[in-house]
Amino acid sequence: MRVLVVEDEKKTASFVRKALQTEGFVVDICHNGDDGLAAVNATPFDIVVLDIMLPGSDGLSVLRQLREQKDKTPVLLLSARGEVGDRVEGLNLGADDYLPKPFELAELVARVRALTRRGAENKSIVLRVADLTLDTVTHRAQRGSTEIELTAREYRLLELFMRSAGQLCGRMMILEKVWDYHFDPGTNLVDVYVRRLREKIDAGYEPKLLHTVRGSGYVLKEAP
Amino acid sequence: MTIRTRLTLWYAGILILSLLVIGIGTYREIDEQLRHEHRRAPAEHAIGETSEMIFQVGLPAVILGLLGGWWLTRRALSPVAKLTDTLEKIHEKNLGEQIPRTNNGDELDRLTEVFNAMTTRLDNSFQRIREFTLHASHELKTPLTVLCGETETALLDESLSPAERERLFSQLDEVRRLSKIVDGLTLLAKADAGQVALAIEPMRLDDLVRDNFADAQILAEPHGIQVELTACEEISVCGDRHRLRQLLLNLADNAIKYNQPKGGVIMSLLKSGNMAQFKIVNTGAGIQPEILPRVFDRFFRGNPAHENTIEGCGLGLSIAQWIVSAHNGTIQIESEPSRLTTVTVRLPLDKKETA
Repeated sequence: MRVLVVEDEKKTASFVRKALQTEGFVVDICHNGDDGLAAVNATPFDIVVLDIMLPGSDGLSVLRQLREQKDKTPVLLLSARGEVGDRVEGLNLGADDYLPKPFELAELVARVRALTRRGAENKSIVLRVADLTLDTVTHRAQRGSTEIELTAREYRLLELFMRSAGQLCGRMMILEKVWDYHFDPGTNLVDVYVRRLREKIDAGYEPKLLHTVRGSGYVLKEAP
Repeated sequence: MTIRTRLTLWYAGILILSLLVIGIGTYREIDEQLRHEHRRAPAEHAIGETSEMIFQVGLPAVILGLLGGWWLTRRALSPVAKLTDTLEKIHEKNLGEQIPRTNNGDELDRLTEVFNAMTTRLDNSFQRIREFTLHASHELKTPLTVLCGETETALLDESLSPAERERLFSQLDEVRRLSKIVDGLTLLAKADAGQVALAIEPMRLDDLVRDNFADAQILAEPHGIQVELTACEEISVCGDRHRLRQLLLNLADNAIKYNQPKGGVIMSLLKSGNMAQFKIVNTGAGIQPEILPRVFDRFFRGNPAHENTIEGCGLGLSIAQWIVSAHNGTIQIESEPSRLTTVTVRLPLDKKETA
């Protein structure tokens, strides 16, 4: 998997590169919009991480040109402006995801991963991790042969975890996908819900499936 | 006493005085002539006539004088009244607006000119402060991103000792807290500069309240706090869904955070006139009356003892207040210390609904 990072701030570009490389991505870096556009035109990338504020052509105009050229490479926008309005503008221009600065590295990596999975994600009706199953049509969850009662919110949370099984789900991503919150509500809502969900799906069962990645988020997987 | 009343009284006084002088003069003159013509005839009759004349002409003259004085001073002072009305409407948001001038070069026109120059200067200073906050919050974002990213990168190192790891995590927590503060600050600075666009659409407020109630119950559970929704009328408002959810969650979160263990929170949504009224009551320690007016101030914390036990960026209520006023509503806090604290939000109903 090859990722292009277009970011003028050198330190940010460097630790993003390092983190993505650790995750097994091949990473190229451009420090301005025009170079970024040229790079995408020259080499096919699987993902483009694009900062909005760039010297030369800014991120939004790079994105606009890409989409005008019918280039469908998934784009993750980064922005220091971080407002709902900018987010909407970016997504309208054809961005696939948006992350406001300051962001957490783990969150960025999780989102890049999610974009690579896009299209190839688990589309089956019944999701399964170990002996935990979730029927996405009837919304029924089972651990082993025991039925688990879930509220609507818990169901959406569990569906998110199971669809991205084995991958980190950052708090911001959970808030966006489950609550449709695009701001930090300043509460520990996510943690409290995850705790409840964990009691339902993990308490009294082995192996434990829902793990906390300290400071970053949660991951649902078989092995710790 | 207003200038107008004072001037009218002075005016009337001078008028009466001059009438008196004229009256006395006339009286003496007539008296003299009478004595001259009819040496023996008693002057009393003529004197009586004269005073009657003074009374008949003088009294209406005094009344006319008073009314005229009143009218004159009112006319003379009307630009002052207008100036006062305009000045009353000035607040930090419309400082840039100029008071209309008469341009007739009189003292009041000059005063208006000076006022306009003063408000322009004030407006410039406010503008500079707003811009400073906005730039500062933007400038902080890049170093924060770097700080956060580099700490996270450092944590990837497998060879760290548990103590080193702990230190880095603690550092990361603080960076996150700082990020939250900067986020809140940016939002408020942008709101001040009128740069936040709201996505206003008609929506059912009761749906948002029920959703918020569900979240509040979950948030309250670990503290043993009981949350109730006593009324939730079907109400439509025009608003920004995300911002209103942010507002409701913020208020619910506060009601739980500042509550006592095993306390209670009661929410209700009712129509009140042409407003939607959302109330949230909590049984926390409450807010002392002397600090109540300041709770919406940025970074204001009522109880310094809470500072380290209750997380939050200190901007929650300022943001809540901004959201409410951006929706043309009002927010109010009443508190009986150690009994009940009530937050009341009133938002205008969707016009279609009131019609």
